[in-house]
Amino acid sequence: MRNDTRRRMYDPWPEGVQPTVPIEGYTNTWTHTPSQPAYRRPLTRTEVTGPADLWRKLHCGDSNLALSTTGKLAQGLLMEVTGRILDEDGRPVANAIVELWQANAAGRYTHALDQRAAPLDPNFLGHGRVRSDESGTYRFLTIKPGAYPVPVKDTWWRPPHIHFSVLGPSTLSRLVTQMYFPGDPLNDWDRILQSIGDPAARQRLVARQLHPAEVGVDHLGFHHDIVLRGRNATPEA
Amino acid sequence: MEDLQHMRRIPLSQHTIGPFFPADYFRPGDNDLTRLSADAEPTGKGTPFVLTGTVRKEGGDPVANAILELWQADAAGRFRHPEDPEADKADPDFLGWGRAWSTIEGVYDFRSVRPGPYVEDGRKRAPHLNIIVMGIGLMRTVETTLFFPEFPEENAQDPVLTTLPEDLRHMLILRDLGEVDGVQTYGFDFLLRGPRGLETPFFET
Ligand SMILES: [Fe+3]
Repeated sequence: MRNDTRRRMYDPWPEGVQPTVPIEGYTNTWTHTPSQPAYRRPLTRTEVTGPADLWRKLHCGDSNLALSTTGKLAQGLLMEVTGRILDEDGRPVANAIVELWQANAAGRYTHALDQRAAPLDPNFLGHGRVRSDESGTYRFLTIKPGAYPVPVKDTWWRPPHIHFSVLGPSTLSRLVTQMYFPGDPLNDWDRILQSIGDPAARQRLVARQLHPAEVGVDHLGFHHDIVLRGRNATPEA
Repeated sequence: MEDLQHMRRIPLSQHTIGPFFPADYFRPGDNDLTRLSADAEPTGKGTPFVLTGTVRKEGGDPVANAILELWQADAAGRFRHPEDPEADKADPDFLGWGRAWSTIEGVYDFRSVRPGPYVEDGRKRAPHLNIIVMGIGLMRTVETTLFFPEFPEENAQDPVLTTLPEDLRHMLILRDLGEVDGVQTYGFDFLLRGPRGLETPFFET
C-alpha cells in the first residue's frame, strides 16, 4: 500500500504547465538549458524524501520586508501577501521553507548585479524567508515591486513580480516560481510568463487581489496559493 | 468542505531564479552537511568527504551564482522522513541537505559524510548524492544523481543509474581526487548544455 502510494505520487507534468524553453529574447536560456531530454527514472526513497527540519539550517522569520532594521518603512505601496502551500491533493504543506525576493518600488534589486540607473531604497532589502504554519499558510508584509527592463535588442520589461523558492517535503516538491499581479498589461508581453503555454497555468501564477474592505487601510492585500508537486506526508518536526 | 479542500490541484509552473537570488541567503556552513546547523557539532557517524567542481554552460564557460542543493541519506542509508521505514533509526545529527553557491569561476563545493546504501522493493540503491542545480537561464530546476567510484558493482545494479543509456552511465561517477588536506575529495563538473556525451545527464523531476 505504502509503495503503491509512492509510485503514484508524481504524475507527469500536464501539457503546457512547464515553460517552453529556450525562450526567444532571453539569451541565457539558449546557453544554460539542457539540449537533451531529461531521463525518466524510478522514484525511490531519495526522491520522495527531504529534510525534516530544514529551519534549523536556514533561518526563518524575516516576514516583514517593508520595515527595515532601522525601523523605517520602505518606499512604495504597502501590501500583504498571504496564501497557502498545498500539495496536489490540496492538502496543506506545513513547515515548508518559503524564500522570496523582489525588486523595490522603482524596479531595482538590492543586489550587486543590478546596476540599473533606478534609485535604491536604503530601507528595502527585498528578501525574506518564512516557514508555513500547520495550515500551510505563509504571510509577509512588503511593498509592491516595480517593473524593470531586460537589456536586450528587442527590449521587453519584466512586469512587477515576486520570486518564490519553496522547499517542501521532498526533493521532487522543490519549486522555484514567480508571482504576478492581476491586470498588469506587461503580463501579456512578458517572455518569461508567456513561455508557459497553458493560459490556465499562467493564470495560476497571478495573485488574487483582496477586496480593500477585507484588508483595511494599512496596506493592500493579495492572496496567492502555491501548489507543490506531489502528494506527500509532511515530515514531522 | 473536506472534499473541496482535497480537490486535485496542478502544481505551479517553474521559473528561473534569475540573476538576483539574494546573496544573504547563502551563509557560511550552508554547504557543510556534516553539521546540522552552523553552530552544531559535526555528526560522529560516517566518513567525511569533500565534493568540488564547476558549473558550466554551452561552450564550457563557467556559470556564476548557480545554486546547488544536495540531498542524501545518512551514513547508514537512512532518511529522517516518514517515507523511510527506519526513520527513527536515522542519525539525529544529520540533516542530509546543503546548499552551495558557485563563484565567478563557476566553482562550488560541499562537505558531507558518505551516504550508506539501502534496499527498497528488493533492489539495492548504491551510495549516491542527489543534486539540484538552479541558475540564470535555467527555467526549470535540473537534477542529477552522482555515484561513488569505490562501488562499481553496486553502481552497475543501481535502479536509477541503470535507467541511463549504458554509454552515459560513467558520466555520473565522481572523480576520485584522493586526500586533500586530510579529507577524501571527489570532483564533479556540471555541463548544463552541450552535445550528448558531454552534457551532464539529468533526470525528470
Ligand atoms: Fe525578477
